[in-house]
Amino acid sequence: MKVARLDGLVRHLILAGFSASIALPLLWVLRVSLTDKLTAYRLPPEIGQIGLHNFVEVLTQYDFTRWFGNSVFVAVLATAISLPAAAMMAYATARYRTGGWPLMMMVLSSQMIPPIVLVLPMFLVFTTLMPVPGIIAITIAHVAINLPFMAWIMISFFDEDTRSLEEAARCDGATRWQAFTRVTIPVAMPGIIAAGLLGFILSWNEFLYALILGNHSSQTLAVGLASLETHAGVNIAPLAAATLLALAPVLILLPFLQKYLIKGLSLGALK
Amino acid sequence: MASIQLNSVSRIYGQGASAVHAVKGIDLQIEDGEFMIFLGPSGCGKSTTLRMIAGLEPVSQGDLLIDGQRVNDVDPAERDLAIVFQNYALYPHMSVRQNMAFGLKLRGTPGPEIESRIAGVAETLGIRPLLDRKPSQLSGGQRQRVALGRALVREPRAFLLDEPLSNLDAKLRSVMRTELIKLHRKLGTTMIHVTHDQVEAMTMGTRICIMRGGEIVQVGKPQDVYRDPADTFVAGFLATPPMNLIPARIEAAGEGLAVIAPGLSVPVPEAYRAAYAPYTGREVILGIRPEDLFETPEGAAPAAIDCSIETVEALGPETILNVKLGQGGSELAARLPAEGDWEVARQIRLFADSLRMHLFDPETTRKIAR
Repeated sequence: MKVARLDGLVRHLILAGFSASIALPLLWVLRVSLTDKLTAYRLPPEIGQIGLHNFVEVLTQYDFTRWFGNSVFVAVLATAISLPAAAMMAYATARYRTGGWPLMMMVLSSQMIPPIVLVLPMFLVFTTLMPVPGIIAITIAHVAINLPFMAWIMISFFDEDTRSLEEAARCDGATRWQAFTRVTIPVAMPGIIAAGLLGFILSWNEFLYALILGNHSSQTLAVGLASLETHAGVNIAPLAAATLLALAPVLILLPFLQKYLIKGLSLGALK
Repeated sequence: MASIQLNSVSRIYGQGASAVHAVKGIDLQIEDGEFMIFLGPSGCGKSTTLRMIAGLEPVSQGDLLIDGQRVNDVDPAERDLAIVFQNYALYPHMSVRQNMAFGLKLRGTPGPEIESRIAGVAETLGIRPLLDRKPSQLSGGQRQRVALGRALVREPRAFLLDEPLSNLDAKLRSVMRTELIKLHRKLGTTMIHVTHDQVEAMTMGTRICIMRGGEIVQVGKPQDVYRDPADTFVAGFLATPPMNLIPARIEAAGEGLAVIAPGLSVPVPEAYRAAYAPYTGREVILGIRPEDLFETPEGAAPAAIDCSIETVEALGPETILNVKLGQGGSELAARLPAEGDWEVARQIRLFADSLRMHLFDPETTRKIAR
C-alpha cells in the first residue's frame, strides 16, 4: 500500500515537473503582460501593480489588429486550400500508391529540409511572378508547407478499414466519388479536422516565410510581434500582452477541437 | 436473381517475372438461385474470385458473365450484387436505418418504399429495436445481422458473402448458419458464400467449389464431394478428423488383389478389381474415412486392422480414437460410438469396410477411378 502511494507520488512529481516546464513560461508572460517594463525585469520576480494597460497599448498604439487580420487571412486561406488537396493526395497515395515511394520520399523530405533553404528560391520565384510579394505570396508559401505536412498525417486515416467501407458503398451503388465523399471523408473526419487544426497552427505561428515574402502591410502576428524587439530595446510588456493575444485564437479553438485532435491523431493507430 | 459464369477467369497481380497468379483460369457455372460455397485454405483465391464477381477486383484474363452478359468492365455499382464482408463494413457514422437506406437512396428509391423495405427486413432479422443505433453500439452478432439486412433490403440479383460468420462465436455462428439457410430457401436468390469452415460448406451450400492455389479442385454437391473426393487435398480437407491417408501398395493376393501397408492388409473387393488391377505392384495412397472404421465387422467386405490406441477424444455423442497400426505403421483416426471402454495403449482390432475405401495415385494425387 505504501509502495503504491509512493509510486503515485513519484509519478505526480514527474508530471508536475513537466507541467511546470510548459506552464511556467506562459505564466511568466502573463505576469509581464499585466505589469510594467521595470517590474518585468526585477528578480526575484514581483507582481507589482497589475493592469490591462499593456493590452490597451498593443491594441491602440501598434498595428496589432492588422497583424491579427493578416494572420487570420493567411492561416484560414492556407488551411482551406491545402486541407482538401492534402486529403485527396493522402487518399490517392494510401489507396492507389500514387507516385509510389518517390512521392512519399518527396513529401517526407519537404518536412526534413530546413525552411531557410527554401526561402531564397521561393523569394526569387515570387519576385519573378509578382512585383511586390505580399499576403498572397505568404498564403501560397504556407499552402506549400502545409500540404505535404497534412497529407503525411492523413495517409494513415485512409487505411484498410475505410477501404472495405468504400467497397461496401460501391457495391451498394455508389460511384467512386460518392463513396469517397459520403463514406470515406465522414469516417476520416476527426483525422481531417485534426490535420487541419495542426496545419492552421503551423501557419499561424510561421515566421520566416511571412518575414521574407511579406511587406509592411502584409505583416502577420509572428512578424509583428518580432517588430516589438527594436534596436532601442525589447518592448517587453506590450510584447507579452501581444503574445497572449496572439495565442488567444488557438487557446479558444483547442478545447472545442481537442476531442477531434485526440480521436483524429489516434485514427488508424487504434481499431 | 442471377446466374453467374466464369470462363477461364484469372487474377494476376504484378507483371513479368514477379507476377502472382492469385486465380488461374477457372471455369465455373453458378446457376440461378443456387447457394454456392467457395471453400479452401487461406490464399487459395476464393475471396479474390468473389471480389472479381463483385467488381472490386479487375478480371486479368477470361470472361465473367452475369445472366449471360459480360461484366468484366462493369462498375460494381451497376452489377446489382450485394456483398457482406467478414468485418461487416457497416458505415460507422450512420445509424442502422441509414446504413440500410444508403444503397436504396443512391438508387433513387422513394422514401416511403425505403421505410417499408427496412421495416420488413428488420422484422425478418429481428433488428427492429436497433434501427436508430450506431454500429459501435451493437454486438458482433447484431452487426452481422445489420450487414445482412443492408444486403437484403436492396433485393439484389445475388448475395456475395465473404466469410461473414468467421468473427462470431461458435454458438452464434451455428444460429446464423441456420438462418442463412432458411433465408436462401425463402428468397431463392443466388448466394455465393466464401468460407474456410468445412462445417459451413457441408451444411449450407447446394454445391461446393473447393479451391487450392488459385485453381478449382472439385465442384459438386456437398455429399458427393465428401463421398467421392477428387484428390488427396479434398479428401484431407473436408471433415474433422479428415480422411486417413496411408501410403500403401497394391499386391496380388491369391486370385485377387490387396492393398498392403505396414500393419494393414485390405483385400480389394471384386467390384473394384478391374479398376485397380493396372496398379498392381505400384505405390498408392489408401484413403479411409474415420467413420468407415468399426469395432465389429460391417459391410460386405470387412478387413481386420490390428492397432494400439494412442489417444482417446471423448466428444460426447461419439469418440475419436487415434490408433497406430502395428509394425511401425501409420496413425489413423477412427470415429466410434461413445459407449466403448477405450484405454490408451490397449491393443484393439478395428474393421474397415473395404467397399468404402478410396485409392489415390501418389504422383498425381488424383483419385483412381473405379
